[in-house]
Amino acid sequence: MEGTDKAVRRSAWRRQFLLQGCWNYEGMQNVGFAYSILPALRHIYREKPEELTKALKRHLEYFNTQPAIGGVILGAALKLEERAAAGEVDSRDIGTFKVGLMGSLGAIGDAYFWGALRPMASVAGAVLALVHPFLGIAALLLVYNLSHLPIRWKGFSAGIEGEEKAVEFLKGSGFAAKTEDRKIVAAILGGAYAGAVCGKTALMFGSGQAAPAFLLLAVLTVHLLTVLFRKAVSPSEILLFLLIIGTLLVWH
Amino acid sequence: MTFQFLLAAVIGLIAYLDRTAAFQVMLHRPLVVATAMGAVFGNVFAGAQVGAILELLYLARLPVGASIPPDDTGAAMFAGAAAAVSASSVGLSAGSITAVLLLSVPCAELGKAADRQVRRINGRIASLTAESVEKGDSHAVEQGLLAGVTLFALSGVVLTLLFTGAGVAVGKLLLPRFGPESRDLLAALLPAIPLLGAASVFSCTRIGRTAPVFYLTMAMVFAATFLFGWAG
Repeated sequence: MEGTDKAVRRSAWRRQFLLQGCWNYEGMQNVGFAYSILPALRHIYREKPEELTKALKRHLEYFNTQPAIGGVILGAALKLEERAAAGEVDSRDIGTFKVGLMGSLGAIGDAYFWGALRPMASVAGAVLALVHPFLGIAALLLVYNLSHLPIRWKGFSAGIEGEEKAVEFLKGSGFAAKTEDRKIVAAILGGAYAGAVCGKTALMFGSGQAAPAFLLLAVLTVHLLTVLFRKAVSPSEILLFLLIIGTLLVWH
Repeated sequence: MTFQFLLAAVIGLIAYLDRTAAFQVMLHRPLVVATAMGAVFGNVFAGAQVGAILELLYLARLPVGASIPPDDTGAAMFAGAAAAVSASSVGLSAGSITAVLLLSVPCAELGKAADRQVRRINGRIASLTAESVEKGDSHAVEQGLLAGVTLFALSGVVLTLLFTGAGVAVGKLLLPRFGPESRDLLAALLPAIPLLGAASVFSCTRIGRTAPVFYLTMAMVFAATFLFGWAG
């Protein structure tokens, strides 16, 4: 079997950070994926230029997944290319495998990274920035990347062990439980942030008796905004509405 | 000022690449970018203050599939520069912060439109790459990717110069034109903006158990903040 050496695999791992380098509406991450796997393809098909072209065309087809977790598919596709070159699998299986996994991995990755980890890191950063700006920035970067970078590495390493290991990695990582845990932490921190802002406002504008009314107003505002978000109203639209009100206030 | 804009352009280049094309290690987040712009334009704390609020505002819009969220990196560049400059011109009052945050919205939308345009041009680059690969040129993939990254980088530098330039102009020229009374009126809108951020966090983390947790924590921290402030 035509195996790839460590240097080639490391090169593919590094290149995955540019998966979205040529993001486009037609093929989405297709050029980025082909670029990431290219060192391995050049190594596997070094004596067969026609096979290299065919393999590159395979990887220039539509591809889109959550970029931080895409390393799993990259590693597994690399392994499948090695096996296809050795005649162990049909090269058409590689495309089928990628298409089969990218949607579900995208859903898992979006829920974990964009829906849980990033809000948790952001709100931790925003709260700690009230103490010191650099503490906030450090918290944001550390909370996010201490989970993000190991997943990139472990996902790619599991993928390179083969499709079964890739699936085992996804099952064993407990993304569903981790997503829920991080969402709860983000909600606690988000609630603390809202409570602190609202408490400071109540101190500035109100007396002790008005405090419960301030809290109730703040809770209703957050609830109303959440309902608006669910109805696909963008934060920009709400901010533009506030900008118009502000302009009218200043005008008068 | 030329050196400051040059430094801002370098930071903008890194931040915009991190946003989509490369790494995604969160160097593009508003807290990081606005603090950096605050440092470049003379007041790191002013930048961090607006950055912390902006950090949460657009979290509810996820970059899923073909959807492009508003450009909060660009909004942070504008707001960081404007806040730092206005801190030395009119002082960083609640009214100035509100004005800076609300005026950053057009930047977020303009940045989003530019991002969409870059991705359209990338479509042409991707199709040229596929044509060259068809002819047996494997180097076309590297060239295509380099072209895509360069386009993201160029667009980032142009947007950075535009947004920081606008931020400096707002801080130096626009805000001093309003009297303290006007800024006090604007200050009345400020509490709504962090609440919008909190709603964004709540909205994207919402599952069955998070609603009671969110509201309970909010009430407890509110009571603690209010009582400690009131007593001391």
